[in-house]
Amino acid sequence: MSSARTPVAEETTPGSKTSLVPDEVLARQAGLGDKEAFAHLARRHGPALYRYVLRLLSDPADAEDCVQEVMLAAWKGLPSFRNDSSIRTWLLVLGRNQAQKLSQRQRPPFPQSGSRPTLDFDAAVAQIRDLRADPERDTIEGGLQIALDAALLLLPERQRSVWILREVEDLSYAEIASVVGLTPTAVRGLLQRARTAIATSLQEWR
Amino acid sequence: MSGIGVSGAAREPSPHDVPAPLVTLGSRADTPSPAVDDRLSRATALLRQHTDAGWKAIEDNVVARALTMFRPSAPVRGRHDIGDFFLAADVIVSRLRRRIDQVPAAAAQKIACTTGDRDELNLVTIQLIAAYGAPLLDVAGHVHAAAMDVLDDLLGALAPAADKVRTHVHIGDVSNDPLIIA
Repeated sequence: MSSARTPVAEETTPGSKTSLVPDEVLARQAGLGDKEAFAHLARRHGPALYRYVLRLLSDPADAEDCVQEVMLAAWKGLPSFRNDSSIRTWLLVLGRNQAQKLSQRQRPPFPQSGSRPTLDFDAAVAQIRDLRADPERDTIEGGLQIALDAALLLLPERQRSVWILREVEDLSYAEIASVVGLTPTAVRGLLQRARTAIATSLQEWR
Repeated sequence: MSGIGVSGAAREPSPHDVPAPLVTLGSRADTPSPAVDDRLSRATALLRQHTDAGWKAIEDNVVARALTMFRPSAPVRGRHDIGDFFLAADVIVSRLRRRIDQVPAAAAQKIACTTGDRDELNLVTIQLIAAYGAPLLDVAGHVHAAAMDVLDDLLGALAPAADKVRTHVHIGDVSNDPLIIA
């Protein structure tokens, strides 16, 4: 019996009936051609998807392209979606794959594993400040978030992915493993290294 | 430091959580200071709560494009007074889904259309979710009738007769959730 449902995120119209509809129902309807249901899924999971791919690509224009491509792939793929994972996890898998495709066209591409990106801390901070020319973020909290983004940029891509998916998006180890294509045990190891590196970077922040 | 109520937003500890890491600075091993812990948890909560301005800027565009997307699908021949026309099978599936979801105690789970010679529709397979406790044969009958109404409306004279088309109604799930079955 279909009784268990995935948690439902709050939407832009809290209290509306659609805001209560579980992901699997919207996915089923979208898979059968309901574009409004798909639009609700896009609004529900778009922020997490954008937040994740922006921190993989470090470029808002690339991140927008990536999100658009993911949504197109999701629309085409929904009729064969089998609920083996949550919709959110599936979209994040598509997002990471698309981000890797985009990054391979860039110079230099982000490292596939292990090695650190070829940029230094100051360059990363300068790049993020440039990306975030937002007066509202010119605050202590904004500075702290910039410092965290800089620390994330210094991480190898897999560590960055694992840390974001666990600490920000609250995915389980098994879900993260399916996104990054590793075992849950490997995810634990990467997460520990990422936490250590970020804590070290933030020691420098005042 | 100005406070945003972020400390309470921390995630519930999980039994699978990795223990707090040791921080190694140069040759010195040390645990993160409480100040670093506080910074990291605040920064993490900010990142978790923050919907990037970038998403807000592209949201409407992304959704608008989502509403214009289509899926390639097989053509299905229909016929009206002035001749034949073709419909994408995806359009038929979408209309069937909308109509079937209006049938009490039923919701469409999967719908497949199969065409034969000259792209004429000769098979529709509808997989259903039925409300727990509903009389399944009655539900199947109502769905069959609803599907024939839609096909008549869409395909006109080429809509297959009810006794000609093999319409398989498969109950794939049952549910008592009003959000799943109206």
